[in-house]
Amino acid sequence: MPPTAAPDRAAMPPAAAPDRAAMPPAAAPERAAITFRWDLDKTYLRTQFESLRQMVKIPFEAGSDKVHLPGVPQLIRGLRRCAKDRAERPYVFFLSASPPQIGNAIRQKLELDGVEYDGIMFKDQLRHLVRGRWRSLREHLGYKLGELLDSRRAGPAARREVLFGDDWESDPLIYSMYADILAGRLTADATDGLLRVLEVERGAIARVVRAVDALAQHSEVVLRIYINLERRTPPGRFHGFGSRLVPAFNYLQTGASLHQLGLLDDTALRAIASALVADAGYNGDRLRNSLDDLVRRGHLRPSSRTRVIRVLQRAGLSGPAPHEAMVRARLAAAFERLQARWSRSVGPVDAPAIDYEKIVREWADRGADASSPSAS
Amino acid sequence: MPRIAVDAMGGDLAPDEIVRGVAQASLESDIQMVLVGASDRIQALLDAGPYNPELISVRHCSAAIGMAEDPHEGLRTKKDASISVAARMVAAGEADAMVTAGNTGAAVLAAAKNFKLIRGVKKAALASVFPRQTEYPGQDALGLLLDVGATIRCDAIELTQFAVMGSAYARRVSKVARPRVGLLNMGSEESKGGDVLVEAYKRMKAPPQLDFVGNVEGNDVTTGKADVIVAEGLLGNVVLKLIEGIGEVATTVATHAAQDSWRWRIGMAMLSTGISRIRDLADFRSYGGAPILGFESICIKAHGRSTAPAVKNAIKVAAKAVRDRISPEIAEAIAEIR
Repeated sequence: MPPTAAPDRAAMPPAAAPDRAAMPPAAAPERAAITFRWDLDKTYLRTQFESLRQMVKIPFEAGSDKVHLPGVPQLIRGLRRCAKDRAERPYVFFLSASPPQIGNAIRQKLELDGVEYDGIMFKDQLRHLVRGRWRSLREHLGYKLGELLDSRRAGPAARREVLFGDDWESDPLIYSMYADILAGRLTADATDGLLRVLEVERGAIARVVRAVDALAQHSEVVLRIYINLERRTPPGRFHGFGSRLVPAFNYLQTGASLHQLGLLDDTALRAIASALVADAGYNGDRLRNSLDDLVRRGHLRPSSRTRVIRVLQRAGLSGPAPHEAMVRARLAAAFERLQARWSRSVGPVDAPAIDYEKIVREWADRGADASSPSAS
Repeated sequence: MPRIAVDAMGGDLAPDEIVRGVAQASLESDIQMVLVGASDRIQALLDAGPYNPELISVRHCSAAIGMAEDPHEGLRTKKDASISVAARMVAAGEADAMVTAGNTGAAVLAAAKNFKLIRGVKKAALASVFPRQTEYPGQDALGLLLDVGATIRCDAIELTQFAVMGSAYARRVSKVARPRVGLLNMGSEESKGGDVLVEAYKRMKAPPQLDFVGNVEGNDVTTGKADVIVAEGLLGNVVLKLIEGIGEVATTVATHAAQDSWRWRIGMAMLSTGISRIRDLADFRSYGGAPILGFESICIKAHGRSTAPAVKNAIKVAAKAVRDRISPEIAEAIAEIR
């Protein structure tokens, strides 16, 4: 499926680093729009780059060789459809630190999966290589944050955004910083300080700072940040990022949380669960346990869990645990729904007060091994 | 796939090591586990390490029976104790087996209260594995001793039933085609040990499905002479604790000796691999658990000081016992000697 709006960034010449003052102001928020920003590897694709052999294979893979994580195409398709049903314009952007040379295969893969998107941004590693910028080759944090902010400035400034990443690199930190920059909680100076501690390359810092300065207005844009626990990083390590960030072990957990937010409907949830059963060997117990885990971690209300269980039960995919008194659970859920209706808000339920200095200090102490964030 | 109810609050190191053990098992197997205990504490512990949430569910309950608590009183007053809830789940068919590292008396009583005895079985027996020498290649390095505390005194019929149950268990779980069964006694002659043991000897000789090797003396327990050793609970428990104590004493003596003399220190350093092997062999915490045999449902009792790997192993033993249909196997064996 072809991109529906903005062209691939990788296909464009790299944006010249403009002067701080010359940066055009960000567009006014598009009221009835929602943007879903996705990381590619380990979030959408089951990319294997743990060994040199696996890394070497990647550029030679065709779209049909690429494997997506179970349930993710169904989730994206559902998000788009549900947004349209709400008369909200959906945008889907992919942001990857992989080189644009794999772009064709990625585009083929997305087409095969029936996933519509509005842009894919790759990291132009070849350019860094040619210019001998070795640090830039390895540097993802500044690159991704800069791309996110530029994309927000140059592309559609949707009123709401949902971000999807994984626990392999620095997505939790990058996405949280991005959300707090948009909300005005992280100023240009504070961002500059944090990136310096993280030893981000100077050019990348300047680019981010200029983008932060160029933000004309601030608002709570980011509803949720979903981190796919591909490495099974203990969820407790993400506590410091607040409840806006939801570590999820599979896409049913992500889907259930989005269902609770009203961004996904029953049909989409059923499709995700069916994909987990068909493609990844899930059974009713596994699906239910996934939901219960999310409830225990405080990311899913018991009433929402009951609703999801009913959806799965009707589809013959799962059901309540043997001991559950469903009638009692439904009564409790109905009461909770009434309470929720009285105080409904689909925006970020709590703006987390993230202690970035602590997180960044720990990060830097570990030698910028961004693979295992510790924000507990 | 079997579903195992795990008493999260039972054991000297509970709930920390129990929850960690379940988390480890969730990453290494496809066994469904239900952690029974205080859900907030359980989730906080899960959050701290890697786990697979798809294989773990939590059944909240508010109470736990302490290791030093009177089991009768504990079970009577704490209806919502984790060990009782786990046993009730198994009895109700919500789980296929239970694992507990908690109060042994409470485990036996909870099982007795909630599980049905296999038809024909007079008393249940608590089994335990113990390290031993092996006599031939491929022989299991662990022997099975029962009873080690579910009973105090037994009659000859009960001891014979223990022999049959232990033999069936070893056949299924340890994959010993024809386990050798011995009767713990004070001498190898048939006439030794008083009326009960003499009568038990005669009875154990009879069933063709038992490979009875006769009386086993104390010094033969840790040799590979018998795969299954039968004793009444009082005696079995003393022997088990003695083996456990010897391992600890050997390690302590070696450590002290090394502190006293530099010659010993050098010697101990040279023997360190061997000593570490002895310590590992005698470390009951690493073995997982052993079953309470005689009930239609399965209860695996892990050592009270079980660490996470031991809990993980106990869960695997429980799953294996379910998969290998231990209880029907025992029921069949008991029916044959009736």
